[in-house]
Amino acid sequence: MNTTASSFRLSDYGIVRSVDDRVVAGLAAGIGRRLGIETVFIRAAFAVLTFVWGLGIVLYLAGWAATIDRVSDTAVETSQPLSGSQRLGTVMVFIASLLLLRSINIWPGDSVMFPAVFVIFGLAFLFDRRAIDSRSALLSIVETPEKPGRGRTVAGVLLLIVGLGIFGGNAAPQFGSIFIAVAATGAGLTVLFGPWIWSLAQDLGTERTERIRQEERAEVAAHLHDSVLQTLALIQRSEDPKKMVTLARAQERELRRWLFDSSPTPGSDRLSTAIQSLADRIEEEFDIPVEVIGVGDTPYDEITTPIVAAAGEALMNAAKHSGAGKITVYHEVSDDTIEVFVTDQGMGFDPEAVDGDRHGVSDSIVARMRRHGGSATIVSEPGEGTEVALSIRRNGT
Amino acid sequence: MIRISMVDDHRLFLSGVRAELEGSVDVVSASSDIDEAIDAIREQRPDVVLVDVHMPGGGGLAVIQNVSETNPDVKFLALSVSDAAEDVIAMIRAGARGYVTKSIAPEELVEAIKRVHAGDAVFSPRLAGFVLDAFADVVPAEVDPEMDQLTPREREVLRQIARGYSYKQVARRLSISVKTVETHVSNVLRKLQLSNRHELARWASNRRIV
Repeated sequence: MNTTASSFRLSDYGIVRSVDDRVVAGLAAGIGRRLGIETVFIRAAFAVLTFVWGLGIVLYLAGWAATIDRVSDTAVETSQPLSGSQRLGTVMVFIASLLLLRSINIWPGDSVMFPAVFVIFGLAFLFDRRAIDSRSALLSIVETPEKPGRGRTVAGVLLLIVGLGIFGGNAAPQFGSIFIAVAATGAGLTVLFGPWIWSLAQDLGTERTERIRQEERAEVAAHLHDSVLQTLALIQRSEDPKKMVTLARAQERELRRWLFDSSPTPGSDRLSTAIQSLADRIEEEFDIPVEVIGVGDTPYDEITTPIVAAAGEALMNAAKHSGAGKITVYHEVSDDTIEVFVTDQGMGFDPEAVDGDRHGVSDSIVARMRRHGGSATIVSEPGEGTEVALSIRRNGT
Repeated sequence: MIRISMVDDHRLFLSGVRAELEGSVDVVSASSDIDEAIDAIREQRPDVVLVDVHMPGGGGLAVIQNVSETNPDVKFLALSVSDAAEDVIAMIRAGARGYVTKSIAPEELVEAIKRVHAGDAVFSPRLAGFVLDAFADVVPAEVDPEMDQLTPREREVLRQIARGYSYKQVARRLSISVKTVETHVSNVLRKLQLSNRHELARWASNRRIV
């Protein structure tokens, strides 16, 4: 428990502040790991030194300033736990340091320091639940392999009794016997019930996590009930295979969006989402699958509005007249242009033929694009499907 | 007849697809468990393995990696409900020669199996879109242009595929032979597997946020 080490440039000696095991800044855990000593004793040492006119706090702050946060706990190797004699040596060095402080008169008085040392280290032994199987030389006297925790408990209680005894003996004239009784009872209760209360608090934490998990599960269940189960029921009642496919696809789309998409909601202002919701609408209205493939994206603004509207007309046209089993929409945004292709593998038509409704729609697509400074090309041949290629420059000219 | 193995943890789907494929290909094994599948594939040595992406115990990736160690000449076609970019890219980079979604029509699936068996790549419109997106922006100077960039012709072929055209239609539209289309697509697959460009896996997992 050589805390004097903290006055050096600690990071050079492999001491870094622990990220996962910290009460203040993780310095005690960092020192403990480097020296191979359980963190609780390092903390105890700092606590004891704090009684020496706040020296512990000063050292801690100095150590804090002289260290860096550990980036990852795997990055620095942990020292082996000290052997019994090394441990005894460390204890001796710490005691020697205290005696040195006492001899040069940096000392608040024996009546404060002796009880402090005993009580703090007594508590440290009692609360050190994590390192129960690394046994020190001192403890191996009373400890057996069958009951590894017993030695610590015995040592802790003994130190506490000695500490409180000294404190009681010194303080009696000043504070009176009532204070001693209260202090002794409090200490006794802490020793007896402290670990139990601690474990109770841990259990409460576990319970809370479990409850959050259950709430999440309930939310998922509620969502699936409202969506997937309802659709499955509808599909079972449906006679029409085409209708079933449409229902299944719509549900699949909805579920996918719920599972995977956090950001793009229908109606949000991107080109890709505008086209996707267009495709969804056509798919629902005309019972025909529409696959949307996109490369790049751009905001849905006054430049992109006409191309999306034209794509919508082309989609509608393909859904109504092509007789294809599927429509593909491909949109690509490059540095200077936005292109949208609406492709079907349906019956196609002759663009030169002047008859009928289709040509009118084609005209309106072409005219609309031209009005907004873009272009539209319609390639179709009877029996070969139709492709509507839309293009517009991004700077709007 | 082409001998195929199938791996999918959904037995219903497995038996459904198997029934659709019978007669067109020879289904030599169908497993719903990864370890069982690896053993069956090593024993049967099929020409092509149809493998699902999401399965307990490591998924399709585990099957591809394990089998490739012992039987490097077995070819894989990934078949999945997921068309998330990271799944698609991960399967291709592990060695799958193609990726199709489970909504594919039976005759298209048979066509895809034949293509993979012949050593060609199978690009769905979705996969073509991902590749174009991943290779879209200008490359930094230090990358290998051979491996980290698409040629204009490859780009044009992918754009046609993304628009829903079959290889045959692409060939006709670009006035090239089907063989040439296949060569372009195989080259793109090789680039996809070997390119370090933006570390494609990271591109795939990031693109949802963008």
